[in-house]
Amino acid sequence: MSKIVSSLIAFAAFITVAAWSGRSVAQTQFGDADAQPAPFNPQMAALMSMLIQPRHAKLALAGHAENWPLASYALKELRQGFVVAARAVPRWKGLPVPDLFDAAVDQPLKLIEAAVKLQYKRQFDEAFGRLTEGCNACHATTDHAFVVIKVPSASAFPNQDFETKR
Amino acid sequence: MKFAMRLTATAAAMVLACGLSAAWAGGAGFGEDDDDSDEAGPSYFGFVRDSSGATVPNAKVTVSLKNRISIVTRTDALGTYKVPGFGRETDPKDIEVSCDKEGYKQLRVVRRSSPSTDPKIPVETECTLQRI
Repeated sequence: MSKIVSSLIAFAAFITVAAWSGRSVAQTQFGDADAQPAPFNPQMAALMSMLIQPRHAKLALAGHAENWPLASYALKELRQGFVVAARAVPRWKGLPVPDLFDAAVDQPLKLIEAAVKLQYKRQFDEAFGRLTEGCNACHATTDHAFVVIKVPSASAFPNQDFETKR
Repeated sequence: MKFAMRLTATAAAMVLACGLSAAWAGGAGFGEDDDDSDEAGPSYFGFVRDSSGATVPNAKVTVSLKNRISIVTRTDALGTYKVPGFGRETDPKDIEVSCDKEGYKQLRVVRRSSPSTDPKIPVETECTLQRI
């Protein structure tokens, strides 16, 4: 009796495997090679990795090197990154992204801007710490506290010199 | 021994059959189908700010369903609070939000109107505190 049951179950498994592997040849989990190219529509995680995290690091490296023209540029790029991300994904998991960004980074970005203008490294470092805290606070609010941002301890850009050139 | 082997084979076949059936049906692992926002109704979210517009962390927020139940929470480091839905049958108009923090008094409560009826979008209510 149990031999019959196990045979039936094994047959059911075989049928399932056969049906599962019977998908279109062109269709894989990554899409269809014959499909029209889709518009590139990066979502929040990709936007963070493309526009925010590297610019956060570059701003830190420029400030650390007291390369104020580069820090000013990196700050504008980072701020613009937040604008682009908030426009691209105005709500994430139902939460209002522009409002979250505003609460998390607006004040620190203003403090960094002042520090860069004054070329005052100590204030820059303090403001950059607050910016980083803002990032992590926002991650916690959006249930992503496991994504922990920190002030970079080394450059991830070996092809860029962050030191001031006179 | 034979019985044990047969039992193992049967169990393996069952696991394989169940797993592949779920994968083939487009089913996912645990966790992706636990979104109960349709049943729970919209959640409640908002900022607590002071009169200058700065967000207020660690403020007490009370979200109440008229004359029935209240949920008390606190704002996080970003000055936001989140409370789950009270059930699909609950009209968000019956929900009241208030905020409090030592050294402050509540100035106003403003609900943001959203054009969306998506139940995943929370009802947003901003509470403003004024220093005493």
